[in-house]
Amino acid sequence: MSWNTICGSRENADKYRAYIGEWENRIHSMLEYRVEHCEQGENRISGSLLSGMPFAAKDNIAVRDFKLTCGSRMLENLVSPYDATAVKRLKEAGCIPVAKTNMDEFGMGSSTDNSALLVTNNPWDTDRVTGGSSGGSAAAVAAGLVPFALGSDTGGSVRQPASFCGVYGLKPTYGAVSRFGLVSYASSLDVIGIMSRDISIIENVFNAVKGQDLNDQTSIEYRDSDSLSLAEKPVFSVLKNPEGLSLEVDEAYRNAAALLREKGYEVREIELPVLDYVVPAYYTIATAEASANLARYNGVRYGYRSSKGETPSELMKKTRDEGFGDEVKLRILLGTYVLRSGFQDRYYVKAQKIRTRIMNELDDVFRTSDLIMLPSFPVPAFRHGDESMSQYQQKVADKFTVTANLAGIPALSFPAGNYNSLPVGLQFFAPRYGEKMLLDAARIFENDYPVMNPQGFKTAEEIIG
Amino acid sequence: MFDTYIGLEIHIQLITDTKIFCSCRNSFGDPPNTNICPVCMGYPGVLPVLNKEAVRKSYIMCRALNCHLNEKAVFDRKNYFYPDLPKNYQITQFEYPFGINGYFENELDGELKRIRIHEAHLEEDAGKMIHEGLSSYCDYNRTGTPLLEIVTEPDFRTGEEVEAFLQNFRRTVRYLGVCDGNMEEGSMRCDANISINFPGKGLGRKVEIKNLNSSRNVKLALQYEQKRQWKMLKNNEFIIQETRLWDDEKKRTESMRSKEDANDYRYFPEPDLPPYFPDAEFLDSIEKAQVELPVARKNRFISEYTLTPDYAEFLTEERDRADFYESACTNGCDSQSAASWLKGDTAKALNVRKKSINETFLTVERFTELLKLLEEGRINNPTAKKVLEIIIDEDKSAEEVVAENGWEQLDNSEELEAFVDKVLSENGKALEQIKSGDMKPVGFLIGQVMKLSGGKADPKKVKEIITGRI
Repeated sequence: MSWNTICGSRENADKYRAYIGEWENRIHSMLEYRVEHCEQGENRISGSLLSGMPFAAKDNIAVRDFKLTCGSRMLENLVSPYDATAVKRLKEAGCIPVAKTNMDEFGMGSSTDNSALLVTNNPWDTDRVTGGSSGGSAAAVAAGLVPFALGSDTGGSVRQPASFCGVYGLKPTYGAVSRFGLVSYASSLDVIGIMSRDISIIENVFNAVKGQDLNDQTSIEYRDSDSLSLAEKPVFSVLKNPEGLSLEVDEAYRNAAALLREKGYEVREIELPVLDYVVPAYYTIATAEASANLARYNGVRYGYRSSKGETPSELMKKTRDEGFGDEVKLRILLGTYVLRSGFQDRYYVKAQKIRTRIMNELDDVFRTSDLIMLPSFPVPAFRHGDESMSQYQQKVADKFTVTANLAGIPALSFPAGNYNSLPVGLQFFAPRYGEKMLLDAARIFENDYPVMNPQGFKTAEEIIG
Repeated sequence: MFDTYIGLEIHIQLITDTKIFCSCRNSFGDPPNTNICPVCMGYPGVLPVLNKEAVRKSYIMCRALNCHLNEKAVFDRKNYFYPDLPKNYQITQFEYPFGINGYFENELDGELKRIRIHEAHLEEDAGKMIHEGLSSYCDYNRTGTPLLEIVTEPDFRTGEEVEAFLQNFRRTVRYLGVCDGNMEEGSMRCDANISINFPGKGLGRKVEIKNLNSSRNVKLALQYEQKRQWKMLKNNEFIIQETRLWDDEKKRTESMRSKEDANDYRYFPEPDLPPYFPDAEFLDSIEKAQVELPVARKNRFISEYTLTPDYAEFLTEERDRADFYESACTNGCDSQSAASWLKGDTAKALNVRKKSINETFLTVERFTELLKLLEEGRINNPTAKKVLEIIIDEDKSAEEVVAENGWEQLDNSEELEAFVDKVLSENGKALEQIKSGDMKPVGFLIGQVMKLSGGKADPKKVKEIITGRI
């Protein structure tokens, strides 16, 4: 792994900077990159596999002295005064943050086109989106700009772009990674995730960042003994009749199931009736929480401030009107709507009941199988612009990913081959604490579905070579 | 006549080293925006961490209010926009507060009355906004101060009752050490709800009164409001459900907002904080932290030490004072003279110094010793007062002070008689006056003898000798 040596000399750093620059001209995955942090190569931690490794973080994860824009005009000039716990732990393991990546504004979207600051292109086809909301992180990893990147996954925001860009994307168990320093979108669903082209890197990064954090009371203790391992002959569940899949994804899904059977694994066909309700439940809970979480952006203490407000309340109104994009406003309005007094039973409370139902239904499945295999998204990367896939269609398509967030369970999207020159990703669900199971299951496919290289891709050796 | 119903919402700032969700100092009166951090300023990405001391003090208070302690308490978000509220939602408790269904034994003019407590919940305080001319300024020092809100049932009937309640309540929070109870500084705040209706018709439309910064103002505002609403009902006018502000200068309430502009707070469970489950060990520690409350203690003082209500009230006003008194009694002080010395000269001396009894060198032992010296006639009253002043300020015992200054009373009659002789011979006129039946100059003569003795003579004995001579 020459990623460990790319940092440490001026010469290497220059080559590295040049490589990033070349790609960035085409894909614009990063809102900020600062390779100079790499030059000194200090901060080496002996015995750490991650020592000296550069990484990128989605721009809703706090990295001290880097920007923290969340892809929003509202925070365009905000510089973080502190490190997120996950970032702090990575620094302690010797990793070096080099970039902040583009994203859908405040994590709201499935294309990264909802960023108010930059349009990011898919490394496989620059006319297409990277997926979202952690699209910048997925693109940067796919193009080989960093060995891994942090993203955040509230309803699929790590797994969906990972599938669009042909890399691995891990959404850990809720609470397994501290949310301290992750800008909240929907607090009960948010989790920091990891993207990489290399399963082992994901594993090492996860082990470095996981576990209880006193700054996040929803974080969980995650001892090695808590970690579930994969049975020698794990049983997989797949959907009997997956609906609404594109031809490519449908084919990839069937092929992967067939391959598992070929390898001698038991594959059970199941139905998950609750899938029909997960999207409305998800958007009710997520927007309700978002409406409160995004209330703090009012121009009073930091961030964008309208110049037009004459009174404090007008100042807040104008600031929010000018500072937020359309999708963010839509979700804030939705959340405000579902929380109105007198309407909570109809929406918010009902959504929580569905959430409990999802957990029960998945628990039932996990009683007889180790893992569930699902598509990550019904289609591969779509083209920029509303014509190819409307915002509404994108929301409906979230049903495979949001399920894991509502249940709080870990999930991993893995590359499952390219179809028509575009990567297609599938995902595994595991019970809570099942991250190791997910990674080991992905290893089953590692040789059949190797991570592919988009044109212009170079390995770390090639970059400094 | 009409029926009056008054209920209170009381906010007490809990005494903790740090704020409720971050490690900023929880202190009053510092320069603006000096006790702030990314957490209490609501920076992106930060999360609240619940202060255990704030939880403990909340439970101590809930228990003292005889509340049922919920097996599970849940924090909620209360959403509203205001520049002094950094997150634009307040973390509070809505459906499952720490304590519900309690009561407080209130007392007015010797009559006990049970005031029901609807609930007590923990929440965070907001900052302060200051308007100057065309500008508005925010000070976030107070943001995140732990606040316990206590809501009573509408069990009060008069403003006097409420005033007495607030005084008893203030003593209670100070006894428990959960709050300093300072209404002027706002560490204890009170909003009052009042509704008036035709007899037997139950609650009327509720009017909330805010901006009440002393228990006296609460009384005045309620009395004003009671009269205003009575008049309206008499004239068949419609009482609007609204919030009114007390204007301290004009001594009246004024409409602030009606129910129509009321906020929809859109409460929902705070996803950043897990529910709180008090365990048996914790509840046990809360039980151990309970103390006898002021009203009960006062009534015990009256019966146990045969004190007048006045004395008992004074002595039990502050816990350290009541503790001091009880220790002094156990230590052998006469309960009456201990009470009178504490309420009289000791209180005066402490007032001048603006100190509480525990903040001085005066210990129960030294106080007892002082009273004993007096009782045994070794010093006289004026000397005792001088000694008291010194043992408050200096680390010395009463014996030491008396010895150092040679203040012990003269019990040598010969010496005294010599003083009397001298004074009588020098004041022939006065002597004649007395002999002619006018006793007025006796006091003057005693004073002269005292002066001559340097204050060490026993005035009673001097009087005896003088009258003997005449």
